[in-house]
Amino acid sequence: MKRLIYSILFIIILLFAFDRIGGAVMWWVNQHSNDVSAPKIRYLVNTCDQELITMGTSRSNLHYIPSIICDTIGISVYNGGIDGSDNIYAHYIMLNHILSHHIPRIICLEVMANDFLYQEKGSFNTLSFFAPYIGLNARADSVFREAGTYWRYKISHLYRYNAKAVSNTAGLLVNRQSGGDNGYIPISQPLHFPDTLKNSDFVFSCDSNKVKYIRKFISLCREHNILLVFTVSPVYLIASPNEYGVLKQIADENGIPFFDYHSAGLYLDHPEYFKDNVHLWDKGARLFTSVFAHDLKMYLDSVGFFEKEQVK
Amino acid sequence: MLFNSLNFLLFFPVVCIIYFAIPALKWRNIFLLAASYWFYMNWKPAYALLLLTSTAVTYVAALGIDRCAGRRGKRAWLTASLVLNLAILFLFKYYNFAAESLSLLLEHLGIALPMPEFGLLLPVGISFYTFQALGYSIDVYRGQTAVEKNFFTYALFVSFFPQLVAGPIERSTHLLPQFKVKQRFDYDAVMAGIRLMIWGYFLKLALADRCGTYVDAVYNNLTQHNGGSYLLASLIFPFQIYGDFAGYSLVAIGTARVMGFRLMDNFRRPYFAATVTDFWHRWHISLSTWFKDYVYIPLGGNRVGKARGYFNLLVTFIVSGAWHGANWTFIVWGALHGIILCIEKFLGFAKAQLSGARKFFHWFVTFCLVVLAWIFFRAETLSDAGRIIKGIFTNLEMPYLPLADCMAIFMALSIVLFKECKDEFHWNIHLSDSRYWVVRHTYIAAAICYILLFGVLNGDQFIYFQF
Repeated sequence: MKRLIYSILFIIILLFAFDRIGGAVMWWVNQHSNDVSAPKIRYLVNTCDQELITMGTSRSNLHYIPSIICDTIGISVYNGGIDGSDNIYAHYIMLNHILSHHIPRIICLEVMANDFLYQEKGSFNTLSFFAPYIGLNARADSVFREAGTYWRYKISHLYRYNAKAVSNTAGLLVNRQSGGDNGYIPISQPLHFPDTLKNSDFVFSCDSNKVKYIRKFISLCREHNILLVFTVSPVYLIASPNEYGVLKQIADENGIPFFDYHSAGLYLDHPEYFKDNVHLWDKGARLFTSVFAHDLKMYLDSVGFFEKEQVK
Repeated sequence: MLFNSLNFLLFFPVVCIIYFAIPALKWRNIFLLAASYWFYMNWKPAYALLLLTSTAVTYVAALGIDRCAGRRGKRAWLTASLVLNLAILFLFKYYNFAAESLSLLLEHLGIALPMPEFGLLLPVGISFYTFQALGYSIDVYRGQTAVEKNFFTYALFVSFFPQLVAGPIERSTHLLPQFKVKQRFDYDAVMAGIRLMIWGYFLKLALADRCGTYVDAVYNNLTQHNGGSYLLASLIFPFQIYGDFAGYSLVAIGTARVMGFRLMDNFRRPYFAATVTDFWHRWHISLSTWFKDYVYIPLGGNRVGKARGYFNLLVTFIVSGAWHGANWTFIVWGALHGIILCIEKFLGFAKAQLSGARKFFHWFVTFCLVVLAWIFFRAETLSDAGRIIKGIFTNLEMPYLPLADCMAIFMALSIVLFKECKDEFHWNIHLSDSRYWVVRHTYIAAAICYILLFGVLNGDQFIYFQF
């Protein structure tokens, strides 16, 4: 038994040493990687200074072209959408990291059903993107605590890079950011466009904790005097009646403008703009961003956003 | 409870400590039995009743066989055990498939006969424990094993948690006697078990689940991919299924070894096989030997005419295919293997001594045939399998290549290939089995770090759980 205890102790000491050395190496890799998500998160956490930031999942990442919005509205724009960030918890973490060094004037949050629906596979699954930054922001860390992963990430530094190690390392060899436009990276025409127009498979089961975080997100913006805008970009699916009812109700309660292009059926007659049912490819994104930028400008003008800003 | 869950990593050390702390063998076995049921009930508690039913039926049948003097009486008890167990298996695993197939057949004949369908969940590991329990009944009937009169010991044999849900399918002659001996704490056995577990976890988390991300992306979205992607996914899937199942088996064997038990080997580097016959001597050994002993040989084996021998082989593999799942894809997979084995037997490959370039050629052809058969195993439907094979031959374009996933698969595959080559060709390199204490322990720590960094740690199920 004594031999086993020595063995276990030795393995634990080795593990600790490997973990800390490996964690330090992976931090360096993460901070120098040019893969798809790491540079964007790094930029948002450390240096972003644009006046308008679009946030959300891959739909935000692929649908909003900063230069078009910037040309239309006349303020600097950054596309902060992160592939696979999945729901409001991730957006809340990201917002806290941004606010720790910069206060944008406008945030356009691309919302979707995942932001308020109960998810069978677990709502906290996609937070690992932000694990390398654990310990830097107490509010962001609170989400990890709620997810039950905080101590795992605190104990093992290597584990923080679990979902990203290979991607980050590959990002040292290949630059996935070339041709980017302030966070937007165009994707090329797909092999096949979506061929059948189905109904949105919408089962309503609201997650009250997510709704709480939507409200927290709104409060945080209000606290920092940020104009928050909710958007739903085009989807090649026929929207279910009242699919975004919960979000629209919250938006109404808080005076948040809601641009819903999905329920409006934008581009349902243009499958050739889509990469798949829920993502536009570059051509569709350019056309959509022009429409959105115009609508946003109309809204900002209608509420006298720039006049108010000048007065301030 | 899954081996790759945090629950198991807490459950197992606690079970080990209590197990070795209990002085009396009887109470140790009762404790292990309770732990095994706890392990099983973590999934769906009510289904433990099925496990108990299967155990009780085979236990009583074996006592009946033992007590009957005449052959007819023994056969009646055995038949009752077989019918009851296979009826449960049929109801939970095959009924819906059979009803649907029969309805379709009748529809083709112009008869509309809607069959009722049951929305029953497939109990985890039902095929494994049913076959293990049936093997015991048959062994008692044949007089190959003594009847076990202690119900708790027998129940532990059927439900022993390391191999309960996905094997290896143990034989009563091998495992039952081990429960009658008080296993002593043995440092070397514990460390050997831990090393086996670590390698099993590596195969599952770093290889199989990484491969799974690519394979699922292609096989679950066939319309979005071309023949190049079909080919690449079909080349990767054999390693996914190997990592998944061999990984589970190794964790099971390692878990048992820590507690002092020895389970049978289930895999022996199957992709080094130079014939498909040899492949089946290396792949899922506990199942293939089960089918050999309890299906193929009772059918007459190869001690019959040539034509009947081929028929026996084919039937055995079709049944083996059906054992894997209630879908035509599994039956075709089994039939394909059966046909190839018949051809190899006919050509005399099964017993050929191969070496050099000839062996390499045979290995290459065998690997291609196994990959082709796996397409049917993985595809959702026969038409999907047809689409994949057609795509590979007619639409071979640049495949979908997610850089990070491909790198992770390549890294894990390189490590596995190195280890397999080392074992297959007896290279004189020793890491996990080094005579140096520091090297052996560093191997464990390094493997854990690799899994922490590159493993898929989302608690995915093992593929063979569905069987």
